[in-house]
Amino acid sequence: MSRTKASGLLIIGGTLVGLLVIMAVFAPLLTAHDPTAISGQALESPSADHWMGTDIPGRDIFAQLVYGTRASLAVALLGASLAITGAISIGVLPALIGGRADAAAARVVVFLLALPGLPLLILIGSLAGGSNVALILMIGLIGAAPNARILRSQTLTLRQRGYITVARGFGGGPIYVLRRHVVPGLGPLIVVGFVNWAGISIALEAGLSFLGIGDPTAVSWGRTLNRALEQQSIYFSDMWTWWVLPAGLAITLAVLGFTFIGVGLEPTFNPRWARTWLRAT
Amino acid sequence: MGAYVGTILCLIVINFLVPRLMPGDPIDALVAQSSETFMFGDDSRASLEAYYGIDRPLPQQFGHYLVQLGRGDLGRSIATNAPVRDELARRLPWTLLLIGTSLVLATAVGLLAGVHSGWRRGRTMDRILLVALLAVREFPPFLLGSLLLVVFAVKLDWLPLFGGETPFSSSYSFFERIVDVGQHLLLPALVLTVGLAAGTFLLMRAGMVSELGADHLLLGRAKGLRERTLKYRYAARNALLPVVSLTALQLGFVVTGDVLIERVFAYPGLGGLIFDSIRARDYPTIQGAFLLVAISVVSFNALADVLYRRLDPRTAA
Repeated sequence: MSRTKASGLLIIGGTLVGLLVIMAVFAPLLTAHDPTAISGQALESPSADHWMGTDIPGRDIFAQLVYGTRASLAVALLGASLAITGAISIGVLPALIGGRADAAAARVVVFLLALPGLPLLILIGSLAGGSNVALILMIGLIGAAPNARILRSQTLTLRQRGYITVARGFGGGPIYVLRRHVVPGLGPLIVVGFVNWAGISIALEAGLSFLGIGDPTAVSWGRTLNRALEQQSIYFSDMWTWWVLPAGLAITLAVLGFTFIGVGLEPTFNPRWARTWLRAT
Repeated sequence: MGAYVGTILCLIVINFLVPRLMPGDPIDALVAQSSETFMFGDDSRASLEAYYGIDRPLPQQFGHYLVQLGRGDLGRSIATNAPVRDELARRLPWTLLLIGTSLVLATAVGLLAGVHSGWRRGRTMDRILLVALLAVREFPPFLLGSLLLVVFAVKLDWLPLFGGETPFSSSYSFFERIVDVGQHLLLPALVLTVGLAAGTFLLMRAGMVSELGADHLLLGRAKGLRERTLKYRYAARNALLPVVSLTALQLGFVVTGDVLIERVFAYPGLGGLIFDSIRARDYPTIQGAFLLVAISVVSFNALADVLYRRLDPRTAA
Protein backbone atom coordinates (compact mmCIF):
# COMPACT_ATOMS: atom_id res chain seq x y z
CA MET A 1 0.00 0.00 0.00
CA SER A 2 2.86 2.28 0.83
CA ARG A 3 4.38 1.42 -2.54
CA THR A 4 1.42 2.56 -4.59
CA LYS A 5 1.10 5.70 -2.53
CA ALA A 6 4.76 6.58 -3.02
CA SER A 7 4.77 5.94 -6.74
CA GLY A 8 1.51 7.90 -7.07
CA LEU A 9 3.28 10.90 -5.57
CA LEU A 10 6.17 10.28 -7.93
CA ILE A 11 3.86 10.34 -10.95
CA ILE A 12 2.13 13.57 -9.89
CA GLY A 13 5.44 15.22 -9.08
CA GLY A 14 7.04 14.02 -12.29
CA THR A 15 4.11 15.30 -14.33
CA LEU A 16 4.23 18.72 -12.69
CA VAL A 17 7.97 19.10 -13.20
CA GLY A 18 7.69 17.73 -16.73
CA LEU A 19 5.09 20.36 -17.56
CA LEU A 20 7.38 23.05 -16.19
CA VAL A 21 10.24 21.86 -18.36
CA ILE A 22 7.99 21.86 -21.43
CA MET A 23 6.81 25.38 -20.62
CA ALA A 24 10.38 26.58 -20.15
CA VAL A 25 11.68 25.00 -23.35
CA PHE A 26 8.77 25.97 -25.58
CA ALA A 27 8.09 29.36 -24.01
CA PRO A 28 8.40 31.29 -27.31
CA LEU A 29 5.83 28.97 -28.91
CA LEU A 30 3.34 29.32 -26.06
CA THR A 31 3.08 33.06 -26.19
CA ALA A 32 3.66 35.60 -28.92
CA HIS A 33 4.54 38.36 -26.46
CA ASP A 34 7.88 39.36 -25.00
CA PRO A 35 7.46 39.37 -21.19
CA THR A 36 9.65 42.46 -20.80
CA ALA A 37 8.25 44.50 -23.67
CA ILE A 38 5.25 46.79 -23.47
CA SER A 39 2.70 45.15 -25.70
CA GLY A 40 -0.56 46.80 -24.73
CA GLN A 41 -2.31 49.38 -22.57
CA ALA A 42 -1.60 49.36 -18.84
CA LEU A 43 -3.85 47.12 -16.71
CA GLU A 44 -5.79 45.54 -19.56
CA SER A 45 -8.27 42.81 -18.66
CA PRO A 46 -7.76 39.35 -20.18
CA SER A 47 -8.50 39.22 -23.89
CA ALA A 48 -7.75 36.97 -26.86
CA ASP A 49 -4.48 38.80 -27.32
CA HIS A 50 -3.48 39.08 -23.64
CA TRP A 51 -4.75 35.91 -21.97
CA MET A 52 -4.05 37.20 -18.48
CA GLY A 53 -4.21 40.89 -19.16
CA THR A 54 -1.33 43.32 -18.77
CA ASP A 55 0.50 44.90 -15.84
CA ILE A 56 1.25 48.53 -15.15
CA PRO A 57 3.42 49.66 -18.05
CA GLY A 58 1.46 47.22 -20.25
CA ARG A 59 3.52 44.02 -20.27
CA ASP A 60 1.77 40.73 -20.97
CA ILE A 61 1.19 38.80 -17.71
CA PHE A 62 0.74 35.41 -19.37
CA ALA A 63 4.13 35.83 -21.06
CA GLN A 64 5.65 36.61 -17.65
CA LEU A 65 4.12 33.42 -16.31
CA VAL A 66 5.46 31.31 -19.19
CA TYR A 67 8.95 32.81 -19.21
CA GLY A 68 9.02 32.84 -15.40
CA THR A 69 9.27 29.05 -15.60
CA ARG A 70 12.77 29.48 -16.99
CA ALA A 71 13.86 31.60 -14.04
CA SER A 72 12.45 29.12 -11.52
CA LEU A 73 13.94 26.06 -13.19
CA ALA A 74 17.31 27.76 -13.60
CA VAL A 75 17.38 28.65 -9.91
CA ALA A 76 16.27 25.11 -9.01
CA LEU A 77 18.98 23.52 -11.15
CA LEU A 78 21.80 25.86 -10.11
CA GLY A 79 20.82 26.08 -6.45
CA ALA A 80 20.53 22.31 -6.09
CA SER A 81 23.74 21.58 -8.05
CA LEU A 82 25.69 24.02 -5.91
CA ALA A 83 24.18 22.64 -2.71
CA ILE A 84 25.06 19.05 -3.60
CA THR A 85 28.55 19.90 -4.86
CA GLY A 86 29.14 21.85 -1.67
CA ALA A 87 27.74 19.02 0.44
CA ILE A 88 30.08 16.51 -1.20
CA SER A 89 33.12 18.71 -0.67
CA ILE A 90 32.42 19.55 2.99
CA GLY A 91 30.60 16.36 3.96
CA VAL A 92 31.78 13.39 1.94
CA LEU A 93 35.38 14.15 1.01
CA PRO A 94 36.58 15.06 4.52
CA ALA A 95 34.78 12.01 5.93
CA LEU A 96 36.79 9.84 3.53
CA ILE A 97 40.08 11.49 4.42
CA GLY A 98 39.26 11.34 8.12
CA GLY A 99 41.39 12.75 10.91
CA ARG A 100 41.73 16.50 11.31
CA ALA A 101 40.15 17.34 7.98
CA ASP A 102 36.99 15.51 9.03
CA ALA A 103 36.88 17.17 12.43
CA ALA A 104 37.35 20.61 10.88
CA ALA A 105 34.74 19.99 8.18
CA ALA A 106 32.25 18.77 10.78
CA ARG A 107 32.68 22.07 12.60
CA VAL A 108 32.12 24.03 9.40
CA VAL A 109 28.89 22.10 8.80
CA VAL A 110 27.62 22.81 12.33
CA PHE A 111 28.44 26.47 11.84
CA LEU A 112 26.71 26.70 8.45
CA LEU A 113 23.65 24.90 9.80
CA ALA A 114 23.27 27.57 12.45
CA LEU A 115 23.28 30.43 9.92
CA PRO A 116 19.84 31.94 9.47
CA GLY A 117 19.03 31.40 5.79
CA LEU A 118 16.42 33.87 4.64
CA PRO A 119 17.69 36.84 6.68
CA LEU A 120 21.16 36.28 5.22
CA LEU A 121 19.71 36.07 1.72
CA ILE A 122 17.81 39.30 2.30
CA LEU A 123 20.92 41.10 3.55
CA ILE A 124 23.21 39.93 0.77
CA GLY A 125 20.54 40.12 -1.92
CA SER A 126 19.52 43.66 -1.11
CA LEU A 127 23.08 44.92 -0.80
CA ALA A 128 24.22 43.13 -3.96
CA GLY A 129 21.87 45.38 -5.89
CA GLY A 130 20.49 44.07 -9.14
CA SER A 131 22.54 40.88 -9.37
CA ASN A 132 21.10 37.38 -9.08
CA VAL A 133 24.49 35.66 -9.08
CA ALA A 134 25.14 36.37 -5.41
CA LEU A 135 21.65 35.12 -4.54
CA ILE A 136 22.01 31.81 -6.35
CA LEU A 137 25.44 31.28 -4.80
CA MET A 138 23.94 31.92 -1.35
CA ILE A 139 21.01 29.57 -1.97
CA GLY A 140 23.53 26.87 -2.88
CA LEU A 141 25.72 27.62 0.12
CA ILE A 142 22.80 27.44 2.54
CA GLY A 143 21.77 24.11 1.05
CA ALA A 144 25.23 22.62 1.39
CA ALA A 145 25.07 22.24 5.19
CA PRO A 146 21.91 20.13 5.68
CA ASN A 147 22.85 17.89 2.74
CA ALA A 148 26.43 17.57 3.98
CA ARG A 149 25.16 16.34 7.33
CA ILE A 150 23.06 13.59 5.74
CA LEU A 151 25.73 12.56 3.22
CA ARG A 152 28.48 12.59 5.84
CA SER A 153 26.77 10.11 8.16
CA GLN A 154 26.06 7.82 5.22
CA THR A 155 29.69 8.08 4.09
CA LEU A 156 30.87 7.13 7.56
CA THR A 157 28.84 3.92 7.44
CA LEU A 158 29.95 3.23 3.85
CA ARG A 159 33.57 3.62 4.88
CA GLN A 160 33.28 0.61 7.14
CA ARG A 161 32.18 -1.64 4.28
CA GLY A 162 34.58 -4.33 3.14
CA TYR A 163 34.88 -3.30 -0.52
CA ILE A 164 35.94 0.21 0.39
CA THR A 165 38.51 -1.05 2.88
CA VAL A 166 39.83 -3.32 0.13
CA ALA A 167 39.97 -0.47 -2.40
CA ARG A 168 41.89 1.67 0.06
CA GLY A 169 44.15 -1.25 0.91
CA PHE A 170 45.13 -1.48 -2.74
CA GLY A 171 46.19 2.14 -2.59
CA GLY A 172 43.07 3.93 -3.87
CA GLY A 173 43.22 7.63 -2.95
CA PRO A 174 40.21 9.49 -1.52
CA ILE A 175 39.20 10.94 -4.88
CA TYR A 176 39.35 7.52 -6.56
CA VAL A 177 37.35 5.90 -3.77
CA LEU A 178 34.88 8.77 -3.89
CA ARG A 179 34.30 8.47 -7.61
CA ARG A 180 34.39 4.69 -7.89
CA HIS A 181 32.60 3.55 -4.75
CA VAL A 182 31.20 6.28 -2.54
CA VAL A 183 29.24 8.38 -5.02
CA PRO A 184 27.41 5.31 -6.40
CA GLY A 185 26.72 4.24 -2.82
CA LEU A 186 25.43 7.69 -1.94
CA GLY A 187 23.54 8.02 -5.23
CA PRO A 188 20.00 7.71 -3.87
CA LEU A 189 20.63 10.21 -1.08
CA ILE A 190 22.23 12.61 -3.55
CA VAL A 191 19.25 12.39 -5.90
CA VAL A 192 16.73 12.94 -3.09
CA GLY A 193 18.79 15.81 -1.67
CA PHE A 194 19.04 17.39 -5.11
CA VAL A 195 15.32 17.20 -5.78
CA ASN A 196 14.40 18.51 -2.33
CA TRP A 197 16.80 21.42 -2.59
CA ALA A 198 15.56 22.23 -6.10
CA GLY A 199 12.07 22.74 -4.62
CA ILE A 200 13.40 24.80 -1.73
CA SER A 201 15.45 26.94 -4.15
CA ILE A 202 12.30 27.76 -6.12
CA ALA A 203 10.45 28.75 -2.96
CA LEU A 204 13.39 30.89 -1.78
CA GLU A 205 13.77 32.66 -5.12
CA ALA A 206 10.03 33.32 -5.26
CA GLY A 207 10.05 34.72 -1.72
CA LEU A 208 13.03 36.96 -2.40
CA SER A 209 11.80 38.38 -5.68
CA PHE A 210 8.40 38.80 -4.02
CA LEU A 211 10.15 41.06 -1.51
CA GLY A 212 11.75 42.96 -4.39
CA ILE A 213 15.24 41.54 -3.99
CA GLY A 214 17.34 40.65 -7.01
CA ASP A 215 17.34 41.85 -10.59
CA PRO A 216 14.39 44.26 -10.95
CA THR A 217 14.12 43.62 -14.68
CA ALA A 218 14.14 39.83 -14.37
CA VAL A 219 11.05 37.86 -15.36
CA SER A 220 10.04 35.66 -12.45
CA TRP A 221 6.83 34.63 -10.70
CA GLY A 222 7.83 36.28 -7.44
CA ARG A 223 8.56 39.51 -9.32
CA THR A 224 5.11 39.39 -10.95
CA LEU A 225 3.53 39.04 -7.50
CA ASN A 226 5.70 41.83 -6.18
CA ARG A 227 4.42 44.22 -8.86
CA ALA A 228 0.83 43.07 -8.43
CA LEU A 229 0.82 43.78 -4.71
CA GLU A 230 2.15 47.28 -5.34
CA GLN A 231 -1.39 48.04 -6.55
CA GLN A 232 -3.37 49.17 -3.53
CA SER A 233 -6.64 48.20 -5.15
CA ILE A 234 -5.52 44.80 -6.41
CA TYR A 235 -8.14 42.92 -4.39
CA PHE A 236 -11.04 45.22 -5.08
CA SER A 237 -11.40 44.41 -8.74
CA ASP A 238 -11.08 41.03 -10.39
CA MET A 239 -7.49 41.91 -11.26
CA TRP A 240 -6.10 39.54 -8.63
CA THR A 241 -7.63 36.53 -10.41
CA TRP A 242 -5.31 36.94 -13.38
CA TRP A 243 -2.42 38.82 -11.80
CA VAL A 244 -1.94 37.25 -8.34
CA LEU A 245 -3.58 33.84 -8.57
CA PRO A 246 -1.80 32.27 -11.59
CA ALA A 247 1.69 33.31 -10.45
CA GLY A 248 0.95 32.15 -6.90
CA LEU A 249 -0.38 28.82 -8.15
CA ALA A 250 2.62 28.39 -10.45
CA ILE A 251 4.99 28.76 -7.48
CA THR A 252 2.89 26.35 -5.39
CA LEU A 253 2.73 23.70 -8.11
CA ALA A 254 6.43 23.96 -8.92
CA VAL A 255 7.42 23.55 -5.27
CA LEU A 256 4.87 20.75 -4.81
CA GLY A 257 6.15 18.96 -7.90
CA PHE A 258 9.69 18.73 -6.55
CA THR A 259 8.50 17.90 -3.02
CA PHE A 260 6.35 15.05 -4.34
CA ILE A 261 9.24 13.60 -6.32
CA GLY A 262 11.46 13.82 -3.25
CA VAL A 263 8.93 12.17 -0.94
CA GLY A 264 8.06 9.62 -3.61
CA LEU A 265 11.68 8.63 -4.18
CA GLU A 266 12.62 8.24 -0.56
CA PRO A 267 10.92 4.88 0.20
CA THR A 268 12.21 3.24 -2.98
CA PHE A 269 15.73 4.38 -2.21
CA ASN A 270 15.79 3.97 1.50
CA PRO A 271 14.19 0.73 2.74
CA ARG A 272 14.55 1.75 6.36
CA TRP A 273 12.62 4.91 5.75
CA ALA A 274 9.98 2.94 3.84
CA ARG A 275 9.32 0.87 6.92
CA THR A 276 8.80 3.87 9.16
CA TRP A 277 6.59 5.41 6.51
CA LEU A 278 4.57 2.21 6.38
CA ARG A 279 4.29 2.15 10.14
CA ALA A 280 3.27 5.77 10.28
CA THR A 281 0.50 5.34 7.70
CA MET B 1 27.11 25.95 22.65
CA GLY B 2 30.41 27.38 21.52
CA ALA B 3 29.31 26.91 17.93
CA TYR B 4 26.37 29.25 18.47
CA VAL B 5 28.51 31.98 20.03
CA GLY B 6 30.89 31.58 17.10
CA THR B 7 27.99 31.88 14.68
CA ILE B 8 26.76 35.08 16.29
CA LEU B 9 30.25 36.61 16.17
CA CYS B 10 30.47 35.58 12.55
CA LEU B 11 27.10 37.17 11.77
CA ILE B 12 28.40 40.42 13.23
CA VAL B 13 31.46 40.23 10.98
CA ILE B 14 29.27 39.41 7.95
CA ASN B 15 27.04 42.33 8.77
CA PHE B 16 30.10 44.58 8.89
CA LEU B 17 31.85 43.22 5.80
CA VAL B 18 29.07 42.53 3.28
CA PRO B 19 28.21 46.16 2.52
CA ARG B 20 31.90 46.98 2.23
CA LEU B 21 32.62 44.10 -0.15
CA MET B 22 29.75 44.82 -2.50
CA PRO B 23 30.39 46.73 -5.71
CA GLY B 24 29.75 50.40 -5.05
CA ASP B 25 29.16 51.61 -1.52
CA PRO B 26 26.26 53.05 0.47
CA ILE B 27 27.38 56.55 -0.45
CA ASP B 28 26.71 55.73 -4.11
CA ALA B 29 23.07 55.17 -3.29
CA LEU B 30 23.03 58.23 -1.08
CA VAL B 31 24.39 60.62 -3.68
CA ALA B 32 22.82 58.94 -6.72
CA GLN B 33 20.88 61.34 -8.89
CA SER B 34 17.71 59.39 -8.35
CA SER B 35 17.92 59.54 -4.57
CA GLU B 36 16.23 62.14 -2.42
CA THR B 37 19.53 63.02 -0.80
CA PHE B 38 21.19 63.73 -4.14
CA MET B 39 24.31 65.84 -3.73
CA PHE B 40 26.60 67.36 -6.26
CA GLY B 41 30.38 67.31 -6.35
CA ASP B 42 33.21 65.22 -4.99
CA ASP B 43 33.65 67.40 -1.90
CA SER B 44 30.27 66.48 -0.51
CA ARG B 45 31.03 62.86 -1.26
CA ALA B 46 34.27 63.03 0.70
CA SER B 47 32.59 64.74 3.61
CA LEU B 48 29.89 62.08 3.63
CA GLU B 49 32.56 59.38 3.65
CA ALA B 50 34.17 61.07 6.61
CA TYR B 51 30.78 61.43 8.30
CA TYR B 52 30.04 57.72 8.01
CA GLY B 53 33.67 56.86 8.80
CA ILE B 54 34.26 54.79 5.68
CA ASP B 55 37.40 56.68 4.64
CA ARG B 56 39.41 55.04 7.41
CA PRO B 57 41.25 51.67 7.19
CA LEU B 58 39.10 48.58 7.55
CA PRO B 59 40.35 47.30 10.96
CA GLN B 60 39.82 50.74 12.45
CA GLN B 61 36.30 50.84 10.99
CA PHE B 62 35.60 47.43 12.49
CA GLY B 63 36.78 48.54 15.92
CA HIS B 64 34.55 51.59 15.73
CA TYR B 65 31.66 49.41 14.57
CA LEU B 66 32.08 47.05 17.52
CA VAL B 67 32.20 49.93 20.02
CA GLN B 68 29.01 51.35 18.53
CA LEU B 69 27.34 47.95 18.59
CA GLY B 70 28.36 47.50 22.21
CA ARG B 71 26.54 50.73 23.02
CA GLY B 72 23.49 49.44 21.18
CA ASP B 73 23.97 52.03 18.46
CA LEU B 74 22.91 50.65 15.07
CA GLY B 75 23.34 53.89 13.17
CA ARG B 76 20.71 56.09 11.61
CA SER B 77 18.15 55.22 8.97
CA ILE B 78 18.91 56.79 5.60
CA ALA B 79 15.21 57.05 4.84
CA THR B 80 13.94 58.67 8.04
CA ASN B 81 17.19 59.79 9.69
CA ALA B 82 15.88 58.35 12.96
CA PRO B 83 18.09 55.98 14.95
CA VAL B 84 17.66 52.43 13.60
CA ARG B 85 17.40 51.14 17.16
CA ASP B 86 14.30 53.23 17.85
CA GLU B 87 12.62 52.08 14.67
CA LEU B 88 13.34 48.44 15.53
CA ALA B 89 11.99 48.96 19.05
CA ARG B 90 8.82 50.50 17.63
CA ARG B 91 8.22 47.58 15.24
CA LEU B 92 9.28 44.71 17.48
CA PRO B 93 6.13 44.50 19.66
CA TRP B 94 3.96 43.97 16.56
CA THR B 95 6.11 41.11 15.37
CA LEU B 96 6.24 39.58 18.84
CA LEU B 97 2.45 39.75 19.02
CA LEU B 98 2.07 38.09 15.64
CA ILE B 99 4.71 35.41 16.22
CA GLY B 100 3.63 34.71 19.80
CA THR B 101 -0.02 34.27 18.87
CA SER B 102 0.81 32.00 15.96
CA LEU B 103 3.22 29.87 17.92
CA VAL B 104 0.79 29.32 20.80
CA LEU B 105 -2.07 28.53 18.42
CA ALA B 106 0.03 26.28 16.21
CA THR B 107 1.43 24.31 19.13
CA ALA B 108 -2.01 23.82 20.67
CA VAL B 109 -3.65 22.79 17.39
CA GLY B 110 -0.71 20.66 16.25
CA LEU B 111 -0.46 18.83 19.57
CA LEU B 112 -4.15 18.05 19.90
CA ALA B 113 -4.54 17.00 16.28
CA GLY B 114 -1.33 14.98 16.41
CA VAL B 115 -2.32 13.10 19.56
CA HIS B 116 -5.72 12.34 18.15
CA SER B 117 -4.46 11.41 14.70
CA GLY B 118 -1.67 9.16 15.94
CA TRP B 119 -3.86 7.39 18.49
CA ARG B 120 -6.50 6.66 15.89
CA ARG B 121 -4.05 5.99 13.10
CA GLY B 122 -5.50 5.05 9.73
CA ARG B 123 -9.03 6.22 10.52
CA THR B 124 -10.81 8.73 8.32
CA MET B 125 -10.07 11.67 10.62
CA ASP B 126 -6.38 10.80 10.64
CA ARG B 127 -6.23 10.66 6.85
CA ILE B 128 -8.07 13.94 6.42
CA LEU B 129 -5.80 15.73 8.90
CA LEU B 130 -2.68 14.22 7.36
CA VAL B 131 -3.49 15.18 3.78
CA ALA B 132 -4.89 18.60 4.69
CA LEU B 133 -1.93 19.64 6.83
CA LEU B 134 0.65 18.25 4.40
CA ALA B 135 -0.95 20.06 1.48
CA VAL B 136 -1.38 23.33 3.31
CA ARG B 137 2.23 23.30 4.49
CA GLU B 138 3.47 23.49 0.91
CA PHE B 139 1.31 26.51 0.17
CA PRO B 140 3.49 29.60 -0.16
CA PRO B 141 2.43 32.07 2.52
CA PHE B 142 1.80 34.88 0.05
CA LEU B 143 -0.73 32.85 -1.91
CA LEU B 144 -2.60 31.66 1.18
CA GLY B 145 -2.51 35.20 2.58
CA SER B 146 -3.83 36.75 -0.63
CA LEU B 147 -6.67 34.24 -0.86
CA LEU B 148 -7.70 34.84 2.76
CA LEU B 149 -7.61 38.59 2.15
CA VAL B 150 -9.85 38.31 -0.88
CA VAL B 151 -12.39 36.14 0.93
CA PHE B 152 -12.51 37.68 4.40
CA ALA B 153 -11.48 41.28 3.83
CA VAL B 154 -12.95 42.03 0.41
CA LYS B 155 -15.80 39.67 -0.45
CA LEU B 156 -17.18 39.18 3.06
CA ASP B 157 -15.74 42.42 4.45
CA TRP B 158 -15.48 40.94 7.94
CA LEU B 159 -11.87 41.81 8.58
CA PRO B 160 -9.56 44.72 7.77
CA LEU B 161 -7.43 44.56 4.63
CA PHE B 162 -4.06 45.69 5.94
CA GLY B 163 -2.08 47.17 8.82
CA GLY B 164 -1.84 46.39 12.50
CA GLU B 165 -4.58 48.70 13.74
CA THR B 166 -7.04 51.25 12.39
CA PRO B 167 -5.34 54.61 11.81
CA PHE B 168 -6.10 57.22 14.48
CA SER B 169 -7.53 54.52 16.70
CA SER B 170 -6.11 56.27 19.79
CA SER B 171 -9.55 57.77 20.36
CA TYR B 172 -10.97 54.28 20.82
CA SER B 173 -11.64 52.93 24.28
CA PHE B 174 -9.24 50.32 25.64
CA PHE B 175 -11.61 47.48 24.84
CA GLU B 176 -12.31 48.72 21.30
CA ARG B 177 -8.59 48.91 20.65
CA ILE B 178 -8.06 45.33 21.74
CA VAL B 179 -10.80 44.17 19.38
CA ASP B 180 -9.33 46.30 16.60
CA VAL B 181 -5.81 44.93 17.02
CA GLY B 182 -7.22 41.42 17.27
CA GLN B 183 -9.13 41.80 14.01
CA HIS B 184 -5.98 42.96 12.23
CA LEU B 185 -4.00 40.13 13.80
CA LEU B 186 -6.35 37.31 12.87
CA LEU B 187 -5.50 36.66 9.21
CA PRO B 188 -1.71 37.02 9.32
CA ALA B 189 -1.60 34.92 12.48
CA LEU B 190 -3.74 32.28 10.77
CA VAL B 191 -1.38 31.99 7.79
CA LEU B 192 1.63 31.70 10.07
CA THR B 193 -0.18 29.19 12.32
CA VAL B 194 -1.08 26.90 9.45
CA GLY B 195 2.54 26.50 8.36
CA LEU B 196 3.74 25.89 11.90
CA ALA B 197 0.96 23.58 13.06
CA ALA B 198 1.76 21.07 10.31
CA GLY B 199 5.27 20.48 11.66
CA THR B 200 4.09 20.01 15.23
CA PHE B 201 1.27 17.77 14.05
CA LEU B 202 3.52 15.47 12.03
CA LEU B 203 6.07 15.09 14.80
CA MET B 204 3.45 14.49 17.48
CA ARG B 205 1.62 12.02 15.29
CA ALA B 206 4.80 10.09 14.49
CA GLY B 207 5.66 10.05 18.20
CA MET B 208 2.21 8.71 19.11
CA VAL B 209 2.37 6.04 16.42
CA SER B 210 5.75 4.81 17.61
CA GLU B 211 4.37 4.65 21.16
CA LEU B 212 1.37 2.56 20.15
CA GLY B 213 3.01 -0.85 20.52
CA ALA B 214 5.15 0.09 23.53
CA ASP B 215 5.34 -2.29 26.49
CA HIS B 216 4.32 0.24 29.12
CA LEU B 217 1.10 0.87 27.19
CA LEU B 218 0.38 -2.84 27.07
CA LEU B 219 1.00 -3.07 30.79
CA GLY B 220 -1.23 -0.07 31.42
CA ARG B 221 -3.96 -1.65 29.35
CA ALA B 222 -3.56 -4.94 31.23
CA LYS B 223 -3.94 -3.04 34.50
CA GLY B 224 -7.27 -1.80 33.16
CA LEU B 225 -6.38 1.88 32.90
CA ARG B 226 -8.82 4.10 31.10
CA GLU B 227 -8.26 4.92 27.42
CA ARG B 228 -7.87 8.62 28.24
CA THR B 229 -5.15 7.94 30.76
CA LEU B 230 -3.28 5.74 28.34
CA LYS B 231 -3.63 8.27 25.53
CA TYR B 232 -2.59 11.42 27.35
CA ARG B 233 -0.58 10.33 30.40
CA TYR B 234 1.27 7.44 28.80
CA ALA B 235 1.61 7.82 25.03
CA ALA B 236 1.38 11.59 24.57
CA ARG B 237 3.74 12.27 27.43
CA ASN B 238 6.58 10.40 25.78
CA ALA B 239 5.77 11.68 22.31
CA LEU B 240 5.84 15.26 23.60
CA LEU B 241 9.60 15.34 24.03
CA PRO B 242 10.76 16.11 20.49
CA VAL B 243 7.91 18.61 20.09
CA VAL B 244 9.37 20.84 22.78
CA SER B 245 12.61 21.34 20.93
CA LEU B 246 10.76 21.60 17.62
CA THR B 247 8.80 24.52 19.01
CA ALA B 248 12.02 26.30 19.92
CA LEU B 249 13.41 25.54 16.45
CA GLN B 250 10.22 26.85 14.92
CA LEU B 251 10.77 30.16 16.65
CA GLY B 252 13.73 30.53 14.34
CA PHE B 253 11.75 29.43 11.31
CA VAL B 254 8.75 31.60 12.09
CA VAL B 255 10.85 34.75 11.96
CA THR B 256 11.56 34.11 8.30
CA GLY B 257 7.95 33.30 7.43
CA ASP B 258 7.00 36.46 9.25
CA VAL B 259 8.90 38.67 6.78
CA LEU B 260 6.84 37.41 3.83
CA ILE B 261 3.52 37.44 5.64
CA GLU B 262 3.91 40.94 7.00
CA ARG B 263 4.48 42.12 3.45
CA VAL B 264 1.22 40.55 2.26
CA PHE B 265 -0.79 42.10 5.08
CA ALA B 266 1.23 45.34 5.31
CA TYR B 267 1.67 44.50 8.97
CA PRO B 268 3.67 47.14 10.87
CA GLY B 269 6.24 44.74 12.38
CA LEU B 270 9.86 43.92 11.57
CA GLY B 271 8.97 42.12 8.34
CA GLY B 272 7.18 45.19 7.06
CA LEU B 273 10.16 47.31 8.08
CA ILE B 274 12.56 45.05 6.21
CA PHE B 275 10.40 45.25 3.11
CA ASP B 276 10.13 49.04 3.32
CA SER B 277 13.86 49.45 3.75
CA ILE B 278 14.64 47.15 0.82
CA ARG B 279 12.49 49.37 -1.32
CA ALA B 280 14.06 52.56 0.01
CA ARG B 281 17.57 51.06 -0.14
CA ASP B 282 17.89 51.99 3.49
CA TYR B 283 21.03 49.96 4.21
CA PRO B 284 21.55 50.82 7.89
CA THR B 285 17.99 49.71 8.68
CA ILE B 286 18.33 46.50 6.66
CA GLN B 287 21.56 45.74 8.53
CA GLY B 288 20.08 46.51 11.94
CA ALA B 289 17.02 44.39 11.25
CA PHE B 290 19.24 41.61 9.90
CA LEU B 291 21.33 41.59 13.06
CA LEU B 292 18.27 41.48 15.30
CA VAL B 293 16.53 38.75 13.31
CA ALA B 294 19.65 36.66 12.71
CA ILE B 295 20.77 36.74 16.33
CA SER B 296 17.32 35.77 17.56
CA VAL B 297 17.15 32.86 15.10
CA VAL B 298 20.52 31.57 16.29
CA SER B 299 19.55 32.03 19.94
CA PHE B 300 16.32 30.09 19.47
CA ASN B 301 18.26 27.28 17.80
CA ALA B 302 20.64 27.23 20.75
CA LEU B 303 17.66 27.17 23.10
CA ALA B 304 16.22 24.20 21.19
CA ASP B 305 19.52 22.39 21.62
CA VAL B 306 19.70 23.07 25.35
CA LEU B 307 16.07 22.10 25.91
CA TYR B 308 16.52 18.87 24.06
CA ARG B 309 19.54 17.91 26.17
CA ARG B 310 17.80 18.82 29.41
CA LEU B 311 14.67 16.87 28.58
CA ASP B 312 16.34 13.80 27.16
CA PRO B 313 19.44 12.89 29.18
CA ARG B 314 20.31 10.19 26.65
CA THR B 315 21.46 12.80 24.13
CA ALA B 316 23.85 14.36 26.61
CA ALA B 317 26.03 11.26 26.66
